[in-house]
Amino acid sequence: MAISEYAAVALVAGGAFFGLVAAVGLVRLPDVYTRTHAASKSDTLGAVLALGGVALVIDAQLATVKAVFLLLFMFLTNPTAAHAIARAARDQGIEPWTTDDADAGGEP
Amino acid sequence: MADSVTLRNTVAYAVEEAAAASDGAPATIHFVVFESARAVDPTGPADLGDDHELLDRVSVWADEDRAGQEASVEVELAVVGADRYLFSPDQYADALADYAAAHDVDRVVLDPEYDPGSGAPMLWPLATELQRRDLDVEEAPVERPRRQTVLGRTGTARKYVAIFGASFLFYQALGAWTTFDLVTGGLTAGLVAALLAPIVFGHQPSLTHLAVQTVRMAVYAPYLLWEIAKANLQIAYVVLHPSLPIDPEMVEFDAAVWGDTPVTTLANSITLTPGTLTVDVTEQSFVVHSLTEATRDGLFEGSLERAVRFVFWGRAAARIPSPRERGEEGDDG
Repeated sequence: MAISEYAAVALVAGGAFFGLVAAVGLVRLPDVYTRTHAASKSDTLGAVLALGGVALVIDAQLATVKAVFLLLFMFLTNPTAAHAIARAARDQGIEPWTTDDADAGGEP
Repeated sequence: MADSVTLRNTVAYAVEEAAAASDGAPATIHFVVFESARAVDPTGPADLGDDHELLDRVSVWADEDRAGQEASVEVELAVVGADRYLFSPDQYADALADYAAAHDVDRVVLDPEYDPGSGAPMLWPLATELQRRDLDVEEAPVERPRRQTVLGRTGTARKYVAIFGASFLFYQALGAWTTFDLVTGGLTAGLVAALLAPIVFGHQPSLTHLAVQTVRMAVYAPYLLWEIAKANLQIAYVVLHPSLPIDPEMVEFDAAVWGDTPVTTLANSITLTPGTLTVDVTEQSFVVHSLTEATRDGLFEGSLERAVRFVFWGRAAARIPSPRERGEEGDDG
């Protein structure tokens, strides 16, 4: 295997790892805000790493450019969507979970 | 002038006018504020802190606007009225006229939202008094804020060309440079330019300015990537830790960045850096949800904010104190 292929494997593996972290976080974290953290960021990095791996191994020039564009748009749209969700939650008056809730017997 | 909603546009107008009036010879603008602390407490000492902070901000704006002008424009900053107690419009006008005489100023531009009297409308009497002292007075013809922000600004040829070029090149990057792609790309880019040119740029795009920002952005991107990677590992640790050590809290702070694009950049950067999530932004006031104590600390250290200021205004602006030093730390109620 060429070096670029090793690098691509490492990137995709990293992407898969952060995708897993995002999924676990989504299940384990207590409320909408904290879950948005997991869903938006670990997810962004996961997708970006995977796309980076793709861009490395695809030989066709054009496809690489497209992968890089996808990567850029990922960085622009993911935080925007996360912000929209969090803002909607706040507008609905949802109180953020704090450690006090955990002491009061709320689900961790 | 003083802090007001139309101040930003007034500064832009003053710079444009000065550049237009210069005729090759360098023109000088003096940005002047009246000492403000004693308007509230006449017996107290003159406190120039707020006034200087305002002037610093104005000078950053003026530098930004000057970058787009060919004529050379000098900027002077001043606080007047620190040595006396100002009460009536003619006292304000006297103070300003003295300053104008001392610095050879013949034209005064007033911010239309400026109001020296605390509460009582005093701009009109002030303008009249200034005219009586042989000064050329005008209010800056800027748009007052509306309930709904106006998206439409005036489109100029340069804006159309910039948008058209960008969208055409993007289209060709995805296409294949065939005749078909060139024609459809031209049509699409034309449509995009017609619809979006009046909206996208806040002020005239200039090639040098854009190039400088692109270079700084290229410096910023790796830094942001590094921050993202580092912080993602922290979050992975927190999420996978058996006891889930989180301490989420909503915090509020005022960021020292101004303008639509910089604020958006900062907001998205904050969201991308794990552990912090921008929930709401109004003007410069950010509401941020943070996952752990450590991420809150990172936020108030202000390194992201500093980096964004560097991208848009250069190294001088990066030296503005961090939110912690400014005492902006505050919990959301």
